[in-house]
Amino acid sequence: MIASLNVTSQRLENQSVTILRLAGRLDATTISQLERALTDAQLSGDRVIVIDLSDLAYISSSGLRVLLTGRSNARKRGGEVFLCSLRPPVREVFEMVGFTAVFTIFDTLEQAMEAAAAASGG
Amino acid sequence: MCSRRLTHSDRSLTIPARFDQLQRASAFVSEIAAAAGFQGLQLNRIELAVDEACSNIIEHAYAQTPGGEIHIHVHAEPGHRIVITLIDTGEPFDPQAVPVHDPQSCLDDSKVGGLGLFLMRRAMDDVQFEFNVKGVGLGQPKRFNRLTMVKYL
Repeated sequence: MIASLNVTSQRLENQSVTILRLAGRLDATTISQLERALTDAQLSGDRVIVIDLSDLAYISSSGLRVLLTGRSNARKRGGEVFLCSLRPPVREVFEMVGFTAVFTIFDTLEQAMEAAAAASGG
Repeated sequence: MCSRRLTHSDRSLTIPARFDQLQRASAFVSEIAAAAGFQGLQLNRIELAVDEACSNIIEHAYAQTPGGEIHIHVHAEPGHRIVITLIDTGEPFDPQAVPVHDPQSCLDDSKVGGLGLFLMRRAMDDVQFEFNVKGVGLGQPKRFNRLTMVKYL
């Protein structure tokens, strides 16, 4: 029953935006996959990263730290990380630690993409 | 009272203190919690607390002495509460020394401390640490650390 994490990446080159879709569980055993995807997205030069959490069932503090580091690194380069489509168990963890006020979170991918297009200047 | 006592259950699991065992620990506790009546977000909170507690033990208690074990005991009172006890023989730590998580400090800084401990306390109704407990029973280690977490339905 050991669940894992699946990370898929999509680049929108004309907008300088990367979309990362996370499915499964983001915990201490799976964070390295997200770390790699974030590093790849940043190396590609994309300023804005949209992370779609609609299929993420679980997140622990390890996952929160990686997201926070990703956001911090993006902002150092004048970029941004947007999150969208948090499921109730994941949203609750964000609320518990006050991260709903730290991250820019959208209800839908469409809303996040609109903001990403504006933020990337695309 | 007698019928209620009969419904109580106690189960234990011992795992190697490794990150690849985290989901096994969470699944073990979740299954018992679900049978006791916890569901949805409540169940997620219990799973999260166990995950964070085991992660802390692996990362901190056994940091200098890998290869240890975590003993998990779950006492379930269906329809009432669940009591989860984690025992390790690693290094004790002082929870008071862990920086208290402050969301405001995260706004401009990725260095965030105390997140796991903060989540455990938010997710559960009661969290108690005991360190350097002296073992007295047969088969108990000479000295151990004990974390007790309680969640009410």
